[in-house]
Amino acid sequence: MNWKMWSLKKSPWVFHVNAGACNNCDIEVVDCLTPKFDVERFGIKLVGSPRHADALLVTGCVTRQIAPRLKEAYLQTSKPCVVFALGACACGTGIFCSGYHVVGPVDKIIKEADPNAIIAYVPGCPPKPEAMISGVVKALAAI
Amino acid sequence: MSEILQNLFWILVFPGFLFSAVLGLVATWIVRKVSAMVHHRIGPPLGQPLYDVMKLLGKETLIPQAGQSFMFVVAPLVGLAAILLLSTMLWRISIAPDELFVGDIIVAVYLMVIPSLALILGSSASASAHAAIGASREMKLVVAYELPLVLAFVVVLIKTAAVAGQNQVLSLAGIAGHASVLSISGLLAFLVALLCVQAKLGFVPFDIPEAETEIAGGVLIEYSGALLAVWIIMQAIMLVALPLFLVVVFLGGFGTTLAGFIGGLGKYVGVLVLIILIKNTNPRMRIDQAMKFFWFYCGPVLAVAVVLAMIGNVTGINWL
Amino acid sequence: MNQQELNEKLKDIAAKVISIDTPAANRIYMPCESENIRDICRFLFADVGARFVIATGIDSDDCFEIIYHFSYDQTGCVINVKAYIRDRENPEVESITPLIPGAEWIEREMHDLLGIGFRNHPRLERLILADDWPDGVYPLRKDAKL
Repeated sequence: MNWKMWSLKKSPWVFHVNAGACNNCDIEVVDCLTPKFDVERFGIKLVGSPRHADALLVTGCVTRQIAPRLKEAYLQTSKPCVVFALGACACGTGIFCSGYHVVGPVDKIIKEADPNAIIAYVPGCPPKPEAMISGVVKALAAI
Repeated sequence: MSEILQNLFWILVFPGFLFSAVLGLVATWIVRKVSAMVHHRIGPPLGQPLYDVMKLLGKETLIPQAGQSFMFVVAPLVGLAAILLLSTMLWRISIAPDELFVGDIIVAVYLMVIPSLALILGSSASASAHAAIGASREMKLVVAYELPLVLAFVVVLIKTAAVAGQNQVLSLAGIAGHASVLSISGLLAFLVALLCVQAKLGFVPFDIPEAETEIAGGVLIEYSGALLAVWIIMQAIMLVALPLFLVVVFLGGFGTTLAGFIGGLGKYVGVLVLIILIKNTNPRMRIDQAMKFFWFYCGPVLAVAVVLAMIGNVTGINWL
Repeated sequence: MNQQELNEKLKDIAAKVISIDTPAANRIYMPCESENIRDICRFLFADVGARFVIATGIDSDDCFEIIYHFSYDQTGCVINVKAYIRDRENPEVESITPLIPGAEWIEREMHDLLGIGFRNHPRLERLILADDWPDGVYPLRKDAKL
């Protein structure tokens, strides 16, 4: 494993994207970044710009309005990067699968932008912060 | 020839780039670890800042198409070069105080401004609305804190001029001889200079230009990969050079003996811990609040300090 | 006014509504035809002093219905005015936004999702559907083809 992937695993900086979520998963993401769970031990830091990010935390079933913007945010992230689909809606549109405004789960939209994207799924409604940390650790170990 | 090689060694290895960068990354780790302890959590491992830099060097560097790519690439390098020179100069003065040159004070003050200027130039070349807001805030912040910083320095010069006598060349090594903070005017000047250094480092409560949650990364929004790594190393070396500047100017610097050197290191760590504590106990200010703070609160305090210093000079009272 | 006086006062508008039903002590339902809605809302807002809360648009099978919810805060009474819009082909109703500016967005939302036209609305533009949503497709109608 080359040094780029090794250092990516040691210091994954995250950027949070809300692609049409009900905010439940977003609250849990922000909760995960508080001192109680201390993800800075793993080098995880919340950054304000997708250009600084290594991991995109995407919540929400993707709505028609945000689909082009989600693709744009993915393209603006400097590669290599990992996309985390957090929550049941992001993994597979959840209970909104027949909604008139839903264009697809996160992996369908990201793969339209880049067929070789690395996507990790953390199901739950919402996933607990412990589940999110476990998902991130497992995803980084598997890369 | 050997002169050139020796200068290169000083600038690139010790106490230049390699030494300052490594010390800067350790200082960054100290900031994050002490912040974690204040937050009652564990915090990152010792190598975390180094992993961050390594990771950034391995990512692709994206340059915005609509931006000014020459200035975009050159600005961080200019900032890094300036702060590197300042760090080298300050360490040389601390370790070998005989090597002084006339006007090194002025050189130091000018070198301290250049990283902020580089930040403004780099963000203006980014062609992004967020970066433009960040650049305008950085300009306002620089205008706010540069004057109090220079005035605090002038207070120290006044005090040192009385002690140094008429014929001595006033240089950083001369100022480092005695601790100005042990007097009322010196203490006031030190407190104001500490807050100005906090603003220059871009720490809370003055991290207004790079406000992450507010303007999406602000000045550095378009930087990625290797250029972002250069900014991070520049900020790390600032964390070495600027508290060292405070130690040299206000706290008496590093002495000539081994005990004095260790005492100097202790003073540096003390200033660093003060900066960390201020960082962790305050919310971010708005830019207009910061300008008012520096001009209308620090200004009168410094005016009082200057008056006290001059009275102390004239009447010969040392503790004023 | 207390609840007794409110019930008395509402009788002034009885000519414009189909009926005044009081299923519970602090709930009053007033079904009406959509032509009278502006007079009823002006009466409730200006004369009674009730506060406009929100409006609900419904696609019933043979007509559209808009329920305007008003709250009389002094007694905690909620007054629901249900307007029947009988014309399914071209549903239109008088907008209450010139009278109550806070109704602007909910009427835009009902226009987006149900296709109900609001006469004299100051700004009837798209509010919540996507920018590239086709015109004329109203998702919350029962016969919407999506």
